[in-house]
Amino acid sequence: MSNRPAFSRYADVVLLAILLAVVPAIAADSSYYLRIATLAVVYMGWTIAFNLIFGHTKQLFLCLGALAGSASYVTTVLIQQLQLSPWITVPIGVTAAAGLGALFSYVSVLRGLGVIFLGIVTLAFSLIFQNLVLGLRQFTNGETGLVTRGLGFALLDRPVAAYYLFVVMLALALLVYCVVMGSRMGFAFRALSDDELTAELSGIDVAACKIIAAALGSAIIGLFGTLYGFYDGIISPSLFSFVSVDIPVLISLLLGGMRTRLGPIIGAAVFAVIEEFVRPFGQLNVLVYGVLLIVLFVAFREGLVVMLKKALGFSIP
Amino acid sequence: MTATLFDGIVQGLQLSLLAVGITLIYGLGGVLNLAHGQLAVLGGVAAKLLLDWGAHPVLAGIGGIIAAGLFGLLVDRSLLLAAYRYRGEERLLLGLILTLGLSFVIDGYLNYSFSEFSLTLSLPIPSVQIAGIPMRTAGLTTSVIAVVVFLALFALLRWTLLGKTIRSIIESEVGAELCGIDPARTRTIIVGLAAMMAGLAGIAQGLFSSLGTEMGPEFTILGLLVAVVGGVRSINGTLVAGVLLGIVNAFASRYIGAYVAFIILLSVAMATILLRPSGLLARFT
Repeated sequence: MSNRPAFSRYADVVLLAILLAVVPAIAADSSYYLRIATLAVVYMGWTIAFNLIFGHTKQLFLCLGALAGSASYVTTVLIQQLQLSPWITVPIGVTAAAGLGALFSYVSVLRGLGVIFLGIVTLAFSLIFQNLVLGLRQFTNGETGLVTRGLGFALLDRPVAAYYLFVVMLALALLVYCVVMGSRMGFAFRALSDDELTAELSGIDVAACKIIAAALGSAIIGLFGTLYGFYDGIISPSLFSFVSVDIPVLISLLLGGMRTRLGPIIGAAVFAVIEEFVRPFGQLNVLVYGVLLIVLFVAFREGLVVMLKKALGFSIP
Repeated sequence: MTATLFDGIVQGLQLSLLAVGITLIYGLGGVLNLAHGQLAVLGGVAAKLLLDWGAHPVLAGIGGIIAAGLFGLLVDRSLLLAAYRYRGEERLLLGLILTLGLSFVIDGYLNYSFSEFSLTLSLPIPSVQIAGIPMRTAGLTTSVIAVVVFLALFALLRWTLLGKTIRSIIESEVGAELCGIDPARTRTIIVGLAAMMAGLAGIAQGLFSSLGTEMGPEFTILGLLVAVVGGVRSINGTLVAGVLLGIVNAFASRYIGAYVAFIILLSVAMATILLRPSGLLARFT
């Protein structure tokens, strides 16, 4: 770790915060663009969490949408059925997501599942979540979804305020990420993403690291999921489906670059722009996702951040 | 009761056709093919195009199967080459992402270009009485074809040189290579075969009820579940698992409801991965 002053070490984060803060000034006239910016911030949060889980500890979670959805549905159903305040139910929802993430990680560590089998188990969980939501009609209202408008925080019903709330949450997520990566655990993550066996042999508790990373990441995913659910006004299975959460997040992470601090944020921003260009083609957006996934994984496995670093010769963490 | 059982077996055999392809590609190539269901749909689309062009239904079906096989060969020789450069875990991960991407490409293209598509084949005689039980000829035909295909596959694996080659590569790719076997060539043949079996499953779906372009992901998931429950390296395990899950699914969706049935299937698959990671019949491969 270098001993440069704190400001220059985190100059990029400050720059990013300023950039994100001025977005409403540009987009405030059009609620459409403000909404897209807000969604991009939500995806940035999810991608940071996925970077912790998949990038740093190599756990392929294919249930990001299901985790976000579980948190959101738990929160909303508790508010509706028991008339609790969102200040109580949001932590419960987030804890549920974190618990689920930790459970998958614990089970996979315990049974020594490889990346593939963890992928299939979590994929199966995504489908179970979708079918549960569709099946438990009396609580979740099935495919139509639940109206969340007015149930959550009043702040989230005002577009500009909601945007800033998400930016603050993103800053929190980034702070958690920086603190973790700057601590001893961060060194352990770097070691185990290089070689797990070597890390284990040098005295790192690989199992604990993986479970903590999964729990932290899932908590962040759950937090953004619940707030997104309130912001959107209506939650339905399609809002948290595999194609609408997992795939964009996976592409954003690959686009920006795994195991980098800013990669997830840049990746999600670029992805939001790409998606805007594809939107007029309707169904074809899935095709574009596929092409992106293939091209990114074959040709640019290091991501945009590392490429920029090499091309421009300056350092982005 | 008997009708449900029969339905389950027919459906199970169809699932096995898909799952065996996934098992073979995983065993030989070390790639878990997430675009396998989409291959089935491609076969169906090709058959439909041939039908519209005026071909005889049987010829159209065969054409669809061949088209799926050719597409499989193409994928193996182009896209998957990027994955084959690596070994072990790295290859698995790359293969998983690449085939996921491929599945989106195929889904996106088919849903865009053939949005109104549906393949329905009907047989001249809708149902026959066997031992007092009315049975749909469509189900009988697809089952007979599936059984014949499986017998042929087992014969191929057991008694031919190619079969021995395949079994040795499944055992150990490096070992096979040291014995002078070219894994790449065998792999290509097998991916082609597996894709043809997927195409057959897609056309069987058209025969059984109807096939739409949106069914790819569902096929992939069901095939994957069966392959995992059967043990992703065991072919007879996959066959048993397919029939078993087919029966469970038929009974569960008849008596409990479709959502719960699917949740039960998924839970069975999850439990199998956790309790017996190498599949139900791991010892009897």
